[in-house]
Amino acid sequence: MTGGQIAGAATLPSAPPAMPLQDTVLLPERLGELTGLDGFGLGGELLATFLAAFIVGNLMLAMTGVAGPWAKRKITAAFTDRIAVNRLGPAGLFIILADSVRLLSKELVIPENADRPAYDLAPIVVASSALLGFAVIPMGSGIHLADPEVGLAYVFAVSGIASLGLVMAGYASSNKYSLLGGLRAVAQNIAYEIPLVITGMSIVIFAGTLQLGEIVSAQAKPLLTIAGISIPSWYALVNPFAFVLFLVANFAEVGRNPFDTPEAPTEIVAGYQTEYSSVYFVLIYLGEFLHIFLGGAIIATIFLGGPAGPGPAALGIVWFIIKIWAVFFATQWLRSAVPRVRIDQLIEIGWKGLLVLSFANLVLTAVIVGLIA
Amino acid sequence: MCVRFEPSNVTEMNDWIAIGALALVGVLIPFGMMAVSYLLRPTVPETSKRATYESGEIPTGGTRIRFNIQYYMVALLFVVFDIETVLLFPWAVAYQDALAADIPLVRALGPMLLFVAILLVGLAWAWRTGAVQWARTPRQLESDRP
Repeated sequence: MTGGQIAGAATLPSAPPAMPLQDTVLLPERLGELTGLDGFGLGGELLATFLAAFIVGNLMLAMTGVAGPWAKRKITAAFTDRIAVNRLGPAGLFIILADSVRLLSKELVIPENADRPAYDLAPIVVASSALLGFAVIPMGSGIHLADPEVGLAYVFAVSGIASLGLVMAGYASSNKYSLLGGLRAVAQNIAYEIPLVITGMSIVIFAGTLQLGEIVSAQAKPLLTIAGISIPSWYALVNPFAFVLFLVANFAEVGRNPFDTPEAPTEIVAGYQTEYSSVYFVLIYLGEFLHIFLGGAIIATIFLGGPAGPGPAALGIVWFIIKIWAVFFATQWLRSAVPRVRIDQLIEIGWKGLLVLSFANLVLTAVIVGLIA
Repeated sequence: MCVRFEPSNVTEMNDWIAIGALALVGVLIPFGMMAVSYLLRPTVPETSKRATYESGEIPTGGTRIRFNIQYYMVALLFVVFDIETVLLFPWAVAYQDALAADIPLVRALGPMLLFVAILLVGLAWAWRTGAVQWARTPRQLESDRP
């Protein structure tokens, strides 16, 4: 019995079985076949790859568009017993278009003491670094841009670039609130990055690989069967403690309540984005939302079985988006329900609480896996 | 070393091309938005408009100031732990395989435990010296008093 388990666990990463959820064909190749572009040699392949990247990028942009001007207001309104946007279109949905035009047509006011190249680059860094992470996320229904072997490490690495953008924004604005906001953002991101990665590592122990496609297919195995219903071994069920740790660290990492000290409106106006207006503000805002969704995508991928769900595998993207939105909804729920912690409390929670707990989780997971095997 | 175009090799190359393509899209989207905004937005220069925002008051002093050393302390601590995570990733990937290959638990797990223990000594030091405690508790303030 135990021997079989060991062998099963060991051969898991190297043997790709015909899992219904695992798409071995990535989106660029699939598009290449679909459009006949792969018949045009390298140029056609590159075009198909670019097309695939364009689809993934705009899918995320569309989700941010729905979340920022519309869903966020609706959710907060529901929590505070209001109605919120309801004038334009069904359920106020056209506010998305109206708001994007409104925000983009604002005058761009650049503060006189701004450090120009850095001030202009910061919004671009924040927005594009958040988008980069989605390249390796398996979203189901064949929407999976790339599946490198270092997948999980790559996601953590690129999501860390945003800190650079935030400190650039904070420092180059030449505003005291911005400076404080930028410093806080970095102190917070680096404090919670480590619990995040360490907890992710405890999942890597189970999966035995960093490749996100493999991590997803490893979760398709049944954990146990109750009354004929097979429960998949989603790592949130295998190790709920790690799931909670990761969730908390993720909320801090994307700077949401109760950890939204970098832009605490009652303390430092709007933090690093105080001096940003017009399209620059839109880009920073976009980057923040993309980061929430990227966090949700990582959680869905390594804890909630990625695009897995009832029904045919073609529904994968629907389940995946539902899981991402569940995490987004949780951030908005906390925004309405939980008070903000002070910056010194935040640092202590990170370094004295979550870091120690995440190491305990890692060591315990390793010991338990070692003893069972 | 020659590059052989085995199927695995080709997909590995495609992976990074795809990531590069998304990076290109990730830069094109902001620039596209900036171009649209450039066409739409008005420009009404006004002298006081560009003043640094300081809650409506006339801004005093610059921003290039010395800020709290605390931020450096946690950044230093971060560097140590971040490098450590990079070094632990290969271990996490290989752990199950090592157990399956009948390598004794002490050899598979022991070095990692020792490594983490050394790091935790560093954390304990930072904890004791107060690098990760930014505010003093009333009791600490009391004991500081001569």
